[in-house]
Amino acid sequence: MKVGFVRVRIVLLMLGVCCMVSCSPEQEKPRPGAKGDKTIVCTVNYPLAYFAKRIGGDLIDARFPGPIDEDPAYWQPDTAAIEQFQKADVILLNGAGYAKWMEMVSLPTSKCVNTSAAFKDHYIDLVAELTHSHGPAGKHAHGGLAFTTWLDFSLAAQQSKAIKDALVKRAPEHTADFEANYAGLEKDLMALDQEMKMVAAEIKGTPIVVSHPVYQYWTRGYGLNVQSVHWEPDEVPTETQWQEFRKMLVGHPSQCMIWEGNPAAEAVDALKAMQIESITFDPCGAAPSEKDFLDSMQKNIQELQKYIIQDSIKE
Amino acid sequence: MKGILYLGWRYLTYHWVKAVILISSITLILFLPAGLRVLVQQSRSQLTLRAQSTPLVIGAKGSPLELVLNACYFSSKVPEFIPYGHVEEVLQSGLATAIPLYVRFHAQNHPIVGTSLDYFDFRDLHIAVGRQMSRLGDCVVGAELAREQGIQPGDTIISSPENVFDLAGVYPLQMKVAGILAFSDSPDDAVIFVDIKTAWIIEGLAHGHEDLTRPAAAQRVLKQQDNVVIGNASVVEYTAITDKNINSFHFHGDPAAFNITSILAVPNDHKGKTLLIGRYKADQATRYQILEPDTVLDELLATIMTIERFVITALVTVGISTLVIAALVFMLSLRLRKREIITMTRIGGSRLAVNCILVSEIVCVLLTSIVLAAGLTFATARYAADVIRFFL
Repeated sequence: MKVGFVRVRIVLLMLGVCCMVSCSPEQEKPRPGAKGDKTIVCTVNYPLAYFAKRIGGDLIDARFPGPIDEDPAYWQPDTAAIEQFQKADVILLNGAGYAKWMEMVSLPTSKCVNTSAAFKDHYIDLVAELTHSHGPAGKHAHGGLAFTTWLDFSLAAQQSKAIKDALVKRAPEHTADFEANYAGLEKDLMALDQEMKMVAAEIKGTPIVVSHPVYQYWTRGYGLNVQSVHWEPDEVPTETQWQEFRKMLVGHPSQCMIWEGNPAAEAVDALKAMQIESITFDPCGAAPSEKDFLDSMQKNIQELQKYIIQDSIKE
Repeated sequence: MKGILYLGWRYLTYHWVKAVILISSITLILFLPAGLRVLVQQSRSQLTLRAQSTPLVIGAKGSPLELVLNACYFSSKVPEFIPYGHVEEVLQSGLATAIPLYVRFHAQNHPIVGTSLDYFDFRDLHIAVGRQMSRLGDCVVGAELAREQGIQPGDTIISSPENVFDLAGVYPLQMKVAGILAFSDSPDDAVIFVDIKTAWIIEGLAHGHEDLTRPAAAQRVLKQQDNVVIGNASVVEYTAITDKNINSFHFHGDPAAFNITSILAVPNDHKGKTLLIGRYKADQATRYQILEPDTVLDELLATIMTIERFVITALVTVGISTLVIAALVFMLSLRLRKREIITMTRIGGSRLAVNCILVSEIVCVLLTSIVLAAGLTFATARYAADVIRFFL
């Protein structure tokens, strides 16, 4: 009888355990893409990663999966890089047609944030490219928009605000930190904007030639008189390119050529022979090798200031 | 007591034909209403489970049932299209996550569902084999479809033309299988998922072809005027997207104007849901409708429930008649057993003991019937889902 009672108790105990296991609340699923409690943020270029890092600090893991030695605008991500984007909690896009590869890949729409959406009505249309026509669809061009938006630092500040808003939405518990960090970044960017405006005021519409058509927002934002060629900094221009350049100088007598990277010595010498100074103004699409975005932009502005001083000495 | 039960049991086994008939009829009459109820409830839950897990569906005004069936079950006719730009509008409202759905095309009679990766998170779908789709032309296949067709990652699936007689229409697209979804016991198991942009390529809104501005393509150029190149009929559009040609694919027009069939709206909270519904209901001029799928299906199921009530009422009536007949059988059986009862009394059986034997026979029949009916009902509950799924 005693043995039977013990058996009954064991059975009841097992039933109780089964009930507790089956009724226990579902284990909390980890947030997709979360690494610890950090929000993973993937960006399509370095400036956005810099802005995100400044705003998110140690609370986020800001990544730019693109290469260091290639322009992210024309980068082609492999499957591993796309998977990194897919697993992120927030995907920061530059907008304005930047990074054409975005059209070719599958990303979760709800996690994508177009940081330039606030000023999309002010995107700069590129001059119509060669169009073609075939089939029933008719004529069409593969042109687009200028996309180096962050070179107008007031626009960069707007992009930073979009990043701050996205992070607040994702992790509202850290709103105060994000707001404080954003205030600091905005202050830095607006200081850059003021510096650049002062430099632009000194340049006063002097004709400038840029080596690559990536300075459109910078030109518009600071009221500069800029025309563009399409030269690569690490390549010496061909004779045809020199001829076109000389033609351009007739209507646009520039004494300053702005390069997006350190130019080839031969090109610099040839320009010098034409009384044209070479200045490097790195748009920083990819991460700079040594300094950060802010330092690089300050260096860019200093380079311009040096040129203005030298130019005024010459005069 | 043991002796009483033994005698009752022996009587039933001796008259087994009568016992089996009684037990069968009582079992059936108990099981039929209960089984039918379980079957209908399971059918209802199978149908509504998907609808209940889909908070809101937005689509063009028209038949609500068709829209819900298309968005939740990938069946029914293709509803009126809405522009993709409306997804952006819902997202910008900040009230809900908007997941586009373009359920229009097929591959070998299996629906091709164009959507965004958010759909997989929303439905909690996971890749069992391979990887998630990552580029244009990639697809992931539902578990059941992959098992039936023996599809593996790396295989290709070709979209079926909408109209086989449209020779000038869009070329079928060869899609690469990136992964196979884990079994989810839902309509997602029998479809092919592609990125919404891939669905637009199937539609012909985007295409890839040789760069006509390159010298190598000179023989495909009909004429060039200023900055316009006009290709001739020999320009061939790519029918498969590869690493080599992916950059030649381009969209014609504004994606905001491109077609989708519906939007799954996942509100951030109850307030968001109410506000979102209110916006559509308040705007009488809107060409969109917002639906709560479970409400739409409830209306459909209300009709089925009415029929169920009629059937159960009929079965209960039949059941009562059967029980009355069973009672009559027992009463007549007592008359026939009058001599047997007298014999039991004469050999010393008390009146109580004899009555107990008779009652034990009846209880035994009823208990066996109840146990069998319960077993059948349990089996129905256990396997009905598979049967229903087979027929659905």
